[in-house]
Amino acid sequence: MKTYLLASLTLLLVCCYVGIVGITFAADSDAGEMEMLVFPEKYKPMAVNNGGMISGMVKFEGDKPEMKMLEVTKDVEVCGVTEKYDESVVVGEDNALKNTIVYLIDITEGKDFDKDAKLEIDQKGCKFTPHVQIVPVGTRLTMLNTDRVNHNVHIFSNINTPVNKQQTKNRRKMPLAGVKKAEGPVSVKCDIHGWMSAWIAYVPHPYFAVTNEKGEFTLEDVPAGEYKLGYWHEACGTNSASPVTVTVEAGGTVTQEFTLKLK
Amino acid sequence: MKIRTIALLFILFGTLVLVSLMYAQNAPEASERGKEVYENSCAHCHGVEGRGDGSAAENLLPRPRDFTRGLYKIRSTETGQLPTDQDLFDIITEGMPGSSMPGWETALSANDRWEVVAYIKTFHAGFKENENPPKQITLEGKIPYSEQSVETGKELYVELGCVECHGNVGRGDGTSAPTLTDSWGFQTWPANLTQGWTFRGGFDTEDIFKRFIGGIAGSPMPAFEGDSFLNFGLTTEESKRLIELENKDEMTEAEEEESGQFYEKMDAAVDIALTIKEGGEVSADDIQTYNDAMKIVYEKSWHLTNYVKSLMPEKRPEAAIGNNVLRSQYVQGALPALDAAAWETFEAGYFPLVGQVVIEPRQFNPTIDGVHVKSFYNDTEVAFLFVWDDRTHTTGDETDETTGKPLEDALAVQFPVKVPQGPTAPKPYFLWGGRLPVYLWHWKASTPEQVTELTAKGINNAETQEAQGELQVQSTYADGQYKLWVKRALKTEDKKDLQLEPGVFVPIAFSAWDGSNGDVDTKRTMTSWYAFTLEPVPSSRRFVYPPIIAILSVGLLFGLRAFVQRRNTEDV
Repeated sequence: MKTYLLASLTLLLVCCYVGIVGITFAADSDAGEMEMLVFPEKYKPMAVNNGGMISGMVKFEGDKPEMKMLEVTKDVEVCGVTEKYDESVVVGEDNALKNTIVYLIDITEGKDFDKDAKLEIDQKGCKFTPHVQIVPVGTRLTMLNTDRVNHNVHIFSNINTPVNKQQTKNRRKMPLAGVKKAEGPVSVKCDIHGWMSAWIAYVPHPYFAVTNEKGEFTLEDVPAGEYKLGYWHEACGTNSASPVTVTVEAGGTVTQEFTLKLK
Repeated sequence: MKIRTIALLFILFGTLVLVSLMYAQNAPEASERGKEVYENSCAHCHGVEGRGDGSAAENLLPRPRDFTRGLYKIRSTETGQLPTDQDLFDIITEGMPGSSMPGWETALSANDRWEVVAYIKTFHAGFKENENPPKQITLEGKIPYSEQSVETGKELYVELGCVECHGNVGRGDGTSAPTLTDSWGFQTWPANLTQGWTFRGGFDTEDIFKRFIGGIAGSPMPAFEGDSFLNFGLTTEESKRLIELENKDEMTEAEEEESGQFYEKMDAAVDIALTIKEGGEVSADDIQTYNDAMKIVYEKSWHLTNYVKSLMPEKRPEAAIGNNVLRSQYVQGALPALDAAAWETFEAGYFPLVGQVVIEPRQFNPTIDGVHVKSFYNDTEVAFLFVWDDRTHTTGDETDETTGKPLEDALAVQFPVKVPQGPTAPKPYFLWGGRLPVYLWHWKASTPEQVTELTAKGINNAETQEAQGELQVQSTYADGQYKLWVKRALKTEDKKDLQLEPGVFVPIAFSAWDGSNGDVDTKRTMTSWYAFTLEPVPSSRRFVYPPIIAILSVGLLFGLRAFVQRRNTEDV
């Protein structure tokens, strides 16, 4: 009888222990859910001569998912002119996956940013274009509003100062202050039009590309060397834990293909 | 002599500075005590690690704050800045109206509250990393409340797009209201600006100003500073001129150039504002330009604040008890209809609603604040006007997942079937009766011209009365507010109905449902018993009896006087 009691007590304790450990693990995996880009600690711009090129394609594994149509609940006469779709997974012909960021994880020296590049996100038709935007640290991003409806630009930064700023219907162009630290991608929303969604990556170096409709990306003027090549996609996650290693030769081209599936 | 005075002043000033430094409100270093107090008093909701995930969190909306992200709603600081220690201390002390956060003024000593402030700050690295103290919003240049200021503010309310969420007259019923979520993805509602007492951070003019300039971090409420305003960087005259130019069908070349110059000026001002924000170098001239532009921004913000202030009463109305008890007013002839001006002539009785938390399913996060009631009666009928705010007009298009019933807005007015005789006589149980039944008027938004009469012996035990159609009903929904008008005969044939007569205090209670907040069945807001009375008609006899008594008394006195005089003469 006594043995029986002792055994069940032990069993109970073991169960409790397993339960606690399980809960702890669950909590940990929750915390790691936000998948981010990885940045080098320091980056030094320099002139790049006869650099190489990394290009390729990102494909989606599995059946092409149907894009969910979003309900336009507001300012229908402007926002409802075109149909709105959830752009979290955009798959084109030949399973091409749009809006994937492909980048060099561990580059510490290379070309400088293109200073003349116009950095904009348009809100035409109550939709952010592009859906994923790369913004160099310290550079101003301009929000466009040509529809004459009110928007509020809400950027959910954690490391940099979060932004929630009204862009009234009269404000065609609203530049936003440059940020101090590399971060992201961070989510961008408009609370007035709840369906609007985009992502911004604040980056410390220019070796970032976003795939187009054909799933293509190109990183140019890469100094010869060995690099870790990473990707990020809002619904498919990252490969930060096991990035691909590529070797770039001076003037050469490396081709890399990725096949991503939903998390 | 002069030097001595200066020296004295200097010492006095120095002492003052020292004293104020000693009293400067800064939290102590985080201590064991702070941790202990936090874990005993705060962790149940805010979680041991400050993630806003304590055991009680799930049932609360708004959710308890997650301290790890450093997003604090109620701050005296500019947008993107952390709160000051004093801000945190004040919130802990005063609590947050309209949420589950209580004030801790009596439960925790001031010292313990400061310890908690210090401990809370350890959850977010930003507090430690920031070298500079957070930048506070300046309250200088406050523009006093005036009709003109309110008028200017009203224009800004539209111009800045406040209507999108807060609605035309501020009842939080804007067209974006139903889709708002906070930074954690939980549903959140814009403030009803006509109910200042529900504001989390207080509704003094300064409080409202700070929320407007600094935004409410973690919520959809943006910050309005600098170039959120129309024509930032232009003087009032220039701004007027530009609007005039832009309204022209065609501009001349000179006008094109003029407008172009205005745009250049605005771009330059925005550039300076951004450079300051980015921590870049700016010249003294630039700072002057920036300050001039900001002066106009702050003036406009005070006007807007005054407008918002004009939308709300100075304080929460008193509940309809004691002197404020609901009195139905007697009128001769027909009772006023829903849209009659007569309803505007007296104050409504106010019945504050609370979530029903006695019986499952409960409502822990009510969205309806209270019902305002007015009433008239004549010799045969009584009419009631019920008015309540609801941000959304929900008529049952969607159904509740658990019950399968339609989610719709509704109101129920509850009376006892029989008025208890005397103040100590028992009333039916307030949750729709029990042993003693209640008589109910049940109105639903999907059938806005109809009120169903029910008899209930419990919250889940209501029966529709066989005899219906004794009530006349009108209702409207506009700008986030329902108005429901109900008329009935004072006396009916139905034994299950309440019979009314003047001068009797009749118990009355309310239940309200906000369909968009998931209210259905027992999940609702409600009141306990209140009372109302048909104010007795002042009798016309009051014009007859007092004069008669007066004349009689005077006559009596004269008679007495004559009698005494006569007796005295006889004696002599």
